[in-house]
Amino acid sequence: MKLPSGRLVRERVVTDLTTVLATALDSGLTGYALLESQDALLLDADGVGVLTFADGVPAVAYHTGTDSAGEEALADIAVAGPYRLELYELDDAALAEVHDTDPMTIPPELPAEQLAGDPQLAERTLEAAATEQRDESDETTGDSAVEAFLDDEETIAEIQQRAREQAQERAEEWGFRR
Amino acid sequence: MVEAFAVASGKGGTGKTTSTLALGMALADSYDVTIVDADTGMANVLFHAGLSDAETTLHDVLAGKAETREAVYERFGMDVVPCGTSLSGFRDADPDRLRDVVAELAADTDVILLDSAATLGSRAAVLPIVLADRIVVVLQPTIPSLSDGLKVQEYATTYGTGVAGLLFNRVTDDEDIDAIAGKAERYFEGETLATVPESDAARAARRAGEPLLAHAPDSQAAAAYRGAAGRLDVQSGPSEAVAERFQRAVVPDEL
Repeated sequence: MKLPSGRLVRERVVTDLTTVLATALDSGLTGYALLESQDALLLDADGVGVLTFADGVPAVAYHTGTDSAGEEALADIAVAGPYRLELYELDDAALAEVHDTDPMTIPPELPAEQLAGDPQLAERTLEAAATEQRDESDETTGDSAVEAFLDDEETIAEIQQRAREQAQERAEEWGFRR
Repeated sequence: MVEAFAVASGKGGTGKTTSTLALGMALADSYDVTIVDADTGMANVLFHAGLSDAETTLHDVLAGKAETREAVYERFGMDVVPCGTSLSGFRDADPDRLRDVVAELAADTDVILLDSAATLGSRAAVLPIVLADRIVVVLQPTIPSLSDGLKVQEYATTYGTGVAGLLFNRVTDDEDIDAIAGKAERYFEGETLATVPESDAARAARRAGEPLLAHAPDSQAAAAYRGAAGRLDVQSGPSEAVAERFQRAVVPDEL
């Protein structure tokens, strides 16, 4: 996936992507977000999640660490927080080629559902997408991403393993003895 | 005889407090139920149970300024112990006293439901999970919620706390919840207790300051919670054992 460089409009570490998605939607951002996991134990430490926006509506997703695209990439991004976020503005024309790449396309409401877990934001995003008369893939819902996540035993084992280690470390730190 | 459950989810917004009170009310048909707002940093129970003007709260008890019984309110067929909302109340509260409070309440009830914090980030937030016999994991069918639910389960089992079951909440029609729940169960120790539909009734109940089962007893969501309560096999242990375990759970003199 090749993206021309955009103009950096925001850079920070975030744990919750609700604000990022809402800000992009409300400001009608056309551009992209780079999401770098701060959790080096999950996925590829060098991997970056890429999410593009057209007029504030999420358009395509890609993950450079796992080389996944579309809904799968979103699933990879979803488990990788907290993130270092960089938000860039980029004009429509520069994004056109990427936005025409089918396998990377995501339903517009999916990031709000999967990354933010915010049904209201998802609904607002859908409305915005409809207003802009963008193509929507109504038949593709977020479920396939959730099911794909639950089918990914390796990622889930990593999450469990890491949580277990954290719980053990903290038991000592916090003085729990059971 | 008593069993203590922590109602937990790693992520906020899953409807944990709504679920705690709904499960509590449904269980109250068969058991003496006590609800404790163990999310001392972000009190919620009081707003759901019409107790926003409660004079004495768990904060006062945890600060050593009141007896436990002064913070117990009989509401909707349950004993409810709300937390206060003031920052100073939170600052003065010693979370470790929670175990004494729960031990004291355990002597006089069948089921304790601890509404716990939507984070695993601090000792106070994890304490209810340590104290409980088992957790009920409240999930939304989204990747962040499932992922956080898995983390909560690992914390619980690491600290010797069991998993009583899963509650899928705020489920919308376009989700194939049976497929998702079926796949999720492979990773969780407990079975799915219920899938609760996304519901305007839950929001309306919260605005009215009533538990969902009191505000909209005929709603689909209320029926789902009653089903969950029916599926929850309460395994009451002797109250003394619970009290003793609470005493052992934490090392207070190092704190």
